[in-house]
Amino acid sequence: MRVLGLLVAVAAFAADDSFVLRNVTIHPVTSASIPNGTLVVTDGKIAAFGARVAAPKSAKVIDGKGQHVYPGLIDSASNIGMAEVSSVRETSDLVELGDFNPQLRAVVAINPSSDHIPVTRGNGITTSLIYPGGGIIGGQAALVHLDGWTWEEMAIERNVTMQMRMPTLTTGTFSSTFGAGRRPFAETKRRYEERLKLLSDFFEQARAYQRRKAAGGAGFVLDRRLDAMLPILEGKASLMIFAPRERAVKDALAFGAKENVKIVLAGVREAGAAVKEIAEKRIPVILGETLELPLEEDSPYDSAFTLPAELHKAGVTFAFGTFSVQFARNLPFQAANAVAFGLPYEEALRAVTINAAKIWGVDSRIGSIEAGKWADLILTDGDPLEARSQVKQMWIQGRPVSLETRHTKLYDQFGKRPN
Amino acid sequence: MLLAAAGAIAHGQSGSPEIYAIQNATIHTASGPIISSGTIVVRNGLIESVGSGADVPAGAWTIDGKGLHVYPGLIDALSRWGLPPAADAPASRPAAAPTAARRGGGGDDSPSNVQFQDDGGPEERPSNTSWLKAADLVQPNDPALTAARNAGFTTAVVFPPTGIFAGQGSALNLGGGRAGDMVVSSPVGQFLSLSVRGFTSFPGSLLGSIAYVRQVYLDAAHYKSAKAMYTQNPRGLQRPAYDRALEGVLESPRLLLPASRKVEIDRMIRFGRELKNPFVLYGGSEAWRAADSLKAAGVPLLINLKWPERDRESDPDVVDSLRTLEIRENAPAGPAALAKAGVRFAFYSGGVERPADIRRAVKRAVDAGLANDDALRAMTLDAARIYGLDDRLGSLEPGKIANLFVTDGDWLAEKTAVKMVFVDGKKFEPAAGGQTNGPA
Repeated sequence: MRVLGLLVAVAAFAADDSFVLRNVTIHPVTSASIPNGTLVVTDGKIAAFGARVAAPKSAKVIDGKGQHVYPGLIDSASNIGMAEVSSVRETSDLVELGDFNPQLRAVVAINPSSDHIPVTRGNGITTSLIYPGGGIIGGQAALVHLDGWTWEEMAIERNVTMQMRMPTLTTGTFSSTFGAGRRPFAETKRRYEERLKLLSDFFEQARAYQRRKAAGGAGFVLDRRLDAMLPILEGKASLMIFAPRERAVKDALAFGAKENVKIVLAGVREAGAAVKEIAEKRIPVILGETLELPLEEDSPYDSAFTLPAELHKAGVTFAFGTFSVQFARNLPFQAANAVAFGLPYEEALRAVTINAAKIWGVDSRIGSIEAGKWADLILTDGDPLEARSQVKQMWIQGRPVSLETRHTKLYDQFGKRPN
Repeated sequence: MLLAAAGAIAHGQSGSPEIYAIQNATIHTASGPIISSGTIVVRNGLIESVGSGADVPAGAWTIDGKGLHVYPGLIDALSRWGLPPAADAPASRPAAAPTAARRGGGGDDSPSNVQFQDDGGPEERPSNTSWLKAADLVQPNDPALTAARNAGFTTAVVFPPTGIFAGQGSALNLGGGRAGDMVVSSPVGQFLSLSVRGFTSFPGSLLGSIAYVRQVYLDAAHYKSAKAMYTQNPRGLQRPAYDRALEGVLESPRLLLPASRKVEIDRMIRFGRELKNPFVLYGGSEAWRAADSLKAAGVPLLINLKWPERDRESDPDVVDSLRTLEIRENAPAGPAALAKAGVRFAFYSGGVERPADIRRAVKRAVDAGLANDDALRAMTLDAARIYGLDDRLGSLEPGKIANLFVTDGDWLAEKTAVKMVFVDGKKFEPAAGGQTNGPA
């Protein structure tokens, strides 16, 4: 709070998004760390950084003695701002009915005042990929800054990828009336094949629409649903395909090849023999929670912890996503768990910064400390993947962002209670 | 040839002969040594004599048993045979208006037509039809009874199937005719299941079910003493309200508790003791692990002959867990382990649908180390002992009910055919095509 007060005082002399950070250890991620460095931010962008950098005379100066500056962390899958309290329907604008809703845009449904946004920022996350859910194709995901008065201010890319869920073959069922159960395999397989057919038919429809649109003419009618598929068919946008198990991963790879579209695999919990093909085809993967139970009773206890290291060894590019609202704040620890189980530390850090930016095609703007990139920065008292480290300051596009959260407010409020 | 002739002649007669003598047969008494060439005499539904030198009374219908084996009739120790097919819907669902009685006489109180309210607590007696008796529900012309008899079964201990307190079992002879004629003993026990039915009604969990059973037994003990007090001196006392659910519990001489896994076996031994009632466990797929527990507790076990196997409708790509595979591999070795430890056990048909497949299932236990005569006892004398009926059933001894079956070879051999079955001294001959003859 004191620091923020100081900033406000200084702001009178300098533009809000220009400053100099001094005496700080700089971790650019894409190059070696610089102890005792200086970082210059001008008009919201990183102007220069290094051991010896000349600072503009008029600039506001922040002393980072004993502290570290990192690029802001990127969560490659969350639902922040689309649901506030998942069990309260009125606060959830996440899932639509129907199997195919590519025309839906997550970006317009984001609530910029969500209490989850500051809480998530508190752990150093400045950017999140926010996707809608439901059906087979759930809609367009947006890449946003976790700051802004409106969704327009938050948006980095309004339509960065299309969320899709691979139809899966699972015989296990669960109902509130009868509890856990099993469906016969033959029936399950029939349903699964029906859904695959639906998916393939939908792509065929979209292609027919593409041809009609190209032909033009008076008979052409704009169809928002099919129109939303065009960037995918033209290879301009990717499909983010949720595929938890090996079988679904293989299906997703086959599907991507058959339809000749760009895909990103998401929510992968086992890759098995498919890992080679993922690496060969250079398909990016968004990994979920690392602190998970194994999928099978007899799987190694650490199978979820070691998956990132396994993919790294195979040469797969991946990033982490939380696939969550209230647990999005745990993103850095997800990466940290993987380090404890074999993933090189640098790779873990890259998976929540530059690799995420590359996967989403925004690495010219965010994901590392490089001259010309946006000043999405966090100032910490230690390694941001370490649970004990505190984020002391945050800037998004060079603007200082409040680190006050619902949690800190409650802490302050109840700290004042007499006894 | 001779058998065919005997059959033909028997058919030609108007009534059934009262005395049979099977001569020169190998007689497996189950209670004593095998008699290699003996005679067994059956008169008026009872066994009159068994032995190598037994006299054949004048007027007996003699059967040359050369090359034949005589065994005590098989007993299915926990059966559904003869009951109307269980509805899939939970028994707690309110039923439609009672249908006209199918069995003639009496109201229809089969499980599917019993209404009870189960949104309340234990006092509402949810999922409880403890007063039902299999003897009152049995349909004597159920084809399952004939199929079982053709496979050598002469007795089934039948229990109503649905609910936590499903109802009372009855030992029924499979001779057909009137339902009343079939009953050997009733009630012989209360069938409890603790299967969880989901979250829609109380009790919806295992812990709730166990707490509920415990409360019912506490209530039953109180009910019994309150009734006794009132009967002795009703004056000045409020009468205890009649409770059919507690009546059913008090009427049952023993209870059957479900226990398949080792942990369940141990838990049910403790629970059964706590309920202060004689009890028997059923299930036993992990019995190979629990022989010591059962021996120390002196609790008998009914073993399901439906050995655990991979569900035919399961996903071919899904590999079963080691735990599942271990049980599947070892379950048939359970009976041998129990026999070795001296634990009393009997077999029941469980999920085996065709009675003809039951002997194949028993054979798997024998292949896993169970002695042939122990297997026979588990389907005859020991089943009778568990239900306290060994004074009348289960072995070939003078004075016992004449339930026996005759084969042309070892009862567990694949090619052995059942030639004749005697139930209450009445002779039946399974026809070649799986069809049955009526009483000869």
